[in-house]
Amino acid sequence: MMNRLNHLPTLKIDTARKISFTYKGKIYYGVTGDTIASALFANGVRIFGRSLKYHRPRGLYSLDGECSNTCMQVNGIPNVRCENTLLEDGMVVAEQNVKGSAENDMMSFMDKLDWMMPAGFYYDVMHKPAKLWPVAMKQIRKAAGLGKISPDFKMPGKYDEIFLNTDVCIIGGGPAGMMAALSSAEKGLRVILMESRPWLGGFFEYRSAEYKDGQTLHDRANDLAAQVRARENIRLFTHTACVGTYNNNLVTGFQIGKKSDVFDQRYVEIRAKSVVVAAGCIERPLLFDNNERPGVMQIACALRMAKTYGQLPGTKAVFSIGHDLGLEAAIELHDLGLIIDCVADIREDGQDPALMQKLMDRNIPILKGWVAAKAHGRKVVKKVTLSSIDGLMTRTLACDLVVASAGVTPVTGHITVALGTLKYDGHTGCFLPDRMPEKMYAAGRVLGLNDAMAIEASGTLAGLKAAADCGAGSSEEIGKVAKIVASLPGPARGSKLVTAPVKGRKSFICFDEDATIKNIKQALAKGFDVPELIKRFTATGLGPGQGGIPGHNLPLYVAKYQTLPDVSIRPTNVRPPLVPTLISTYAGTNHTMFKITAMDQMQRKDGGIFRNIGVWQRARYFSDDFSCKKEIENVRNNVGMLDGSTLGKFRIHGPDALKALQRVYVSDMSKVKEGRIKYSAMCNDDGCVMDDGVVVKLGENDYYFTTSTGRAGQTAEWIRYHTRYDGWDFALVNLTDSMGVINLSGPNARKVLEKVVDIDVSNDAFGFSAYREFKIADTIPVRAMRLGFVGELSYELHVPASYMQSVWIMLKEAGKPFNIQNFGVEAQNVLRMEKCHIILGQESEQRTNLLDVGLGFLWDRTKSEAKTVGAVALRQAENDPARLKLVGFKMENNGRAPKDGALIVDTKVRGYVCTARDSFALNEAVGMALVEADLSRIGTRLEIFEDECGDDRIYGTVVKMPFYDPEGKRMKM
Amino acid sequence: MALTITCPICGKRNGYEFRFGGEEKGPRPEEEGLTPEAWCDYVHLNKCVAGVQEEWWCHKDGCGSWFKIHRDTTTNLEKEIKTVIEEAGK
Amino acid sequence: MKNIKRVSPVQLKSSPLKTEQKDNWDIVMEYAGEGDGPYLVDLSHKLRLDLQNGEINAITPFGIAIPDSPGKCVLQDGLLINRMNKTQASIYNLAGQDNVDMPDATGYTDVTESALCVAIIGQQVFAICEKLTSLDFMSPDYVAPFLFQGPFSHVPCQIVTLNKTGDDSGIILTCSRGYGRDMIHAILDAGDEFNLKPAGENRFRNWITRP
Repeated sequence: MMNRLNHLPTLKIDTARKISFTYKGKIYYGVTGDTIASALFANGVRIFGRSLKYHRPRGLYSLDGECSNTCMQVNGIPNVRCENTLLEDGMVVAEQNVKGSAENDMMSFMDKLDWMMPAGFYYDVMHKPAKLWPVAMKQIRKAAGLGKISPDFKMPGKYDEIFLNTDVCIIGGGPAGMMAALSSAEKGLRVILMESRPWLGGFFEYRSAEYKDGQTLHDRANDLAAQVRARENIRLFTHTACVGTYNNNLVTGFQIGKKSDVFDQRYVEIRAKSVVVAAGCIERPLLFDNNERPGVMQIACALRMAKTYGQLPGTKAVFSIGHDLGLEAAIELHDLGLIIDCVADIREDGQDPALMQKLMDRNIPILKGWVAAKAHGRKVVKKVTLSSIDGLMTRTLACDLVVASAGVTPVTGHITVALGTLKYDGHTGCFLPDRMPEKMYAAGRVLGLNDAMAIEASGTLAGLKAAADCGAGSSEEIGKVAKIVASLPGPARGSKLVTAPVKGRKSFICFDEDATIKNIKQALAKGFDVPELIKRFTATGLGPGQGGIPGHNLPLYVAKYQTLPDVSIRPTNVRPPLVPTLISTYAGTNHTMFKITAMDQMQRKDGGIFRNIGVWQRARYFSDDFSCKKEIENVRNNVGMLDGSTLGKFRIHGPDALKALQRVYVSDMSKVKEGRIKYSAMCNDDGCVMDDGVVVKLGENDYYFTTSTGRAGQTAEWIRYHTRYDGWDFALVNLTDSMGVINLSGPNARKVLEKVVDIDVSNDAFGFSAYREFKIADTIPVRAMRLGFVGELSYELHVPASYMQSVWIMLKEAGKPFNIQNFGVEAQNVLRMEKCHIILGQESEQRTNLLDVGLGFLWDRTKSEAKTVGAVALRQAENDPARLKLVGFKMENNGRAPKDGALIVDTKVRGYVCTARDSFALNEAVGMALVEADLSRIGTRLEIFEDECGDDRIYGTVVKMPFYDPEGKRMKM
Repeated sequence: MALTITCPICGKRNGYEFRFGGEEKGPRPEEEGLTPEAWCDYVHLNKCVAGVQEEWWCHKDGCGSWFKIHRDTTTNLEKEIKTVIEEAGK
Repeated sequence: MKNIKRVSPVQLKSSPLKTEQKDNWDIVMEYAGEGDGPYLVDLSHKLRLDLQNGEINAITPFGIAIPDSPGKCVLQDGLLINRMNKTQASIYNLAGQDNVDMPDATGYTDVTESALCVAIIGQQVFAICEKLTSLDFMSPDYVAPFLFQGPFSHVPCQIVTLNKTGDDSGIILTCSRGYGRDMIHAILDAGDEFNLKPAGENRFRNWITRP
């Protein structure tokens, strides 16, 4: 393991504290503060993985995870960005997309086959004959790709989420971001500062150049960070990458947890009144042959390896750069012991004279107007060929490090995903913000600035503007700071070089997708003209790096090398997530949120098998026999108990309550009598039936009504919606959860009930369709209804939820002699189907109207002044012969029941099966189906098509409804 | 959700909390003399403007009220409300 | 009659040290291991009323004036009244007399059974809340006591912030009774890192009646 430079003030590692980890089955050591990438590098690893298509060796490049070069499998999780992931004790790290090892990949011959894979080759080849594709696809998938994941992979780790509100949100914790945070925090506002690295400081943090009066940039960064931390109203999120900015300044990101945190990653969602984007710059990759060979890295990568992680990035280096930062890095790295053979600067002139003097002082030769043209070395860099920009002169130098960078490129994704626009700026050669989204301000290097004072002042200005959006601060103050910014150096001139003078067969514009300059040329030759299309055709920028590497070069290249007049330089779109984000991070804590009834625990104890049904968890079965034979027969022969608590239950009261009911119910609700229940239905404006239930009159303009389980959540808003213009005075109270419901059904139901209650429950005193209120044991208030949904003598008892368990136990005790048993939702489904009582959503879908399902008798046509919802449409649909009809059918030759949803067919689809079951009461399979009118006649044969039945059909015959107890004697007994 | 809606009762909230109730089309027409076409137009015909639209929303996860806002359909941002809000039911 | 018991939608796993019986409820006054806060207290047995009336401004429940604008609340004599909208208010009997009579005016509905009701009290209350909702409790625009009607752990809730300063911080949260199991699980899970523990009603009483 290499000795670290351990005297630098900028270091983020603690060399005294070693960490062990496993790489390729062997134990390695890093130090506290290392990323996985820096620890591997310290252990001599240069090749981190192999590329997607060509299996080219790949290594450290940017150190900020902008490409898939250093994606590895860590603790079983694929595609972990090792440059951004801190090393932890015991980590198990493995390389990706290799056959053999990253060092010796048996698939590396692929690199020579690039001629077989021109841009878009998968669109052009391997699709004729069609049979070829599945075979080819298999092979391609085997050879290409990054991390691997198995179908049963379970994501380890703890994921959390947090939802924040703030006045100002600042993206980027560099000098501009910190200044913005301080200036808006001074106004007393709530400020959130997000920084993707684990520490503040950004562009200043790792640099030892002078800030002012002998203070280094590094010290200045620490100063600012201390000021930021001291402010109580700045909430700081480090190691938190911003991944999205949306309308109304919604900002999302994810935070990497520290050891002390309870999460590994946390989704962060911030609603801000205003936003400052101070995301800084990345470097524009230099395009030359083998520009991604391990040993080629960007300026900040080389410099930060030394300054942050205490490692010299090589022994002998050649620089090929286009920005003063390259000169500064060369000087610093030279002083730390790196041999620098030569600095090739793309720029003919414009270098900072002070830096040039320092290079001269150190005898570092500098070639102006020169650029790297080719890196040599089969696996890692051994030599580099430099070329004059015109390509006429070349020189080849031995080295193991090529520091290569064409210039800088602002990180503007946060602006463009929020629908801000960019404009190509000829002076800097960059895409700079043009029209900013509402209440969003750019600061620092995003604006193209390079001067330290200007960066800071622009941050202060953006912070003040953001504060003004929150109603704090004055325009004079903003004007004053704007003047200061204007007086400071503006954006520096940028290098215009697009590519080294090479053919580009091995010049990679996108590392993730192995796209070369040659591929772009091929796309141009095919007639693709805009970067957005070329991006898709060549896959350039579609990899995990989200366009960080090719985002700037692609539009420059396309604009420059199109042989068309007047080509504007247009950036491609980026989209969130701006940084690769785990799906599990987006999922967050993902709490299960279901409703349970007051009977939940007791039913589970009784062996209830629960299913999620809408917002509820309900007992669907009470045994492993999903035909529910025992449950059904017990209701038919003895007595059963069903938990019906999920029914929607409402009180409507107030002077206009009846008017509101008349509006939404199809029946004449003025005919509802006290002590009786009224069954009715609600339709939508198309006459399609939405809901059914019963209504009870409690008093004048005071009603209690039920809705189906699935509609309970929308009922109040439905009624309010359809009365929203009327200004009626009525009140709705949702009592759904307030009342538990026990459905006591079966021929012995009365015998059970009379043991529990004090009132007369005989058929004369409490007949079918009646409603009674009484108390059990002078304590528990009960609302009871005589209904017959399952076709037997039934009492529906509405009981305050907290008393439900007590009542349930009483009924169970009382019912013992009569063999009372639970029955679940499926048993109820079969029981009511035998009676042809419909369930909306099962015997109807969204196009099914009231008349189709045979509920036309509920509709009162005489109340047009009520403007009943659905009435107009029903009148129009009445004579429409094209509508489906609900019919009952039984299966031919004692056949089994078809599956729900099976189709009724002849030469075309004629309808579908709603519900069908093997009926134990009838000893045959019966069901209900919605069919075209001409198939609805009794005796019609129905041809039934089931999923994947091939040419086999089963047949049923339309019969009269209901199937069970057609006279309805049993429920009225 | 990036969308925010300003509820007249509860203030500006996340769009998730609301249900869309369609364009503002005025009260239900009288049924007397109503042609099928006129009815269908009332129920189903929308202007679908690219620009500022007056529309109904329900604060379903909040106070439950129905109200109208003006929203620019091209930016998905609310516009300053020019008319007095009429609330339904409440 | 047999053992008639009322069961709260909130089932806390801690062991009760002291319980009281009231109106068929078993009310835990103190749990083992309540810790030093924040605390979660079940108040589901407390009487809660819904009041809706077109003339609501003329009504003074239990002699208390209803706040005039939606979102405003008043805590008086242990009764909390929350203005919900133009025509609606909710009334919680948090620390008032037991067995108060239903007021006479029309428009009242007893909704005690409709919702679970818990108090979350202690310094870290809002750190717990921000893990579960995007509602902005800490906005200076809202002065306690105030009512939020909005989602908490994705479920529509009524949340009254009674205090938002330091150790005295506390909210009262109600949501549909059916969500009892999952809502309590979500709150305790979110509060785990802050040492949120179930606490008995004594803890709540001390807090609500503090000077």
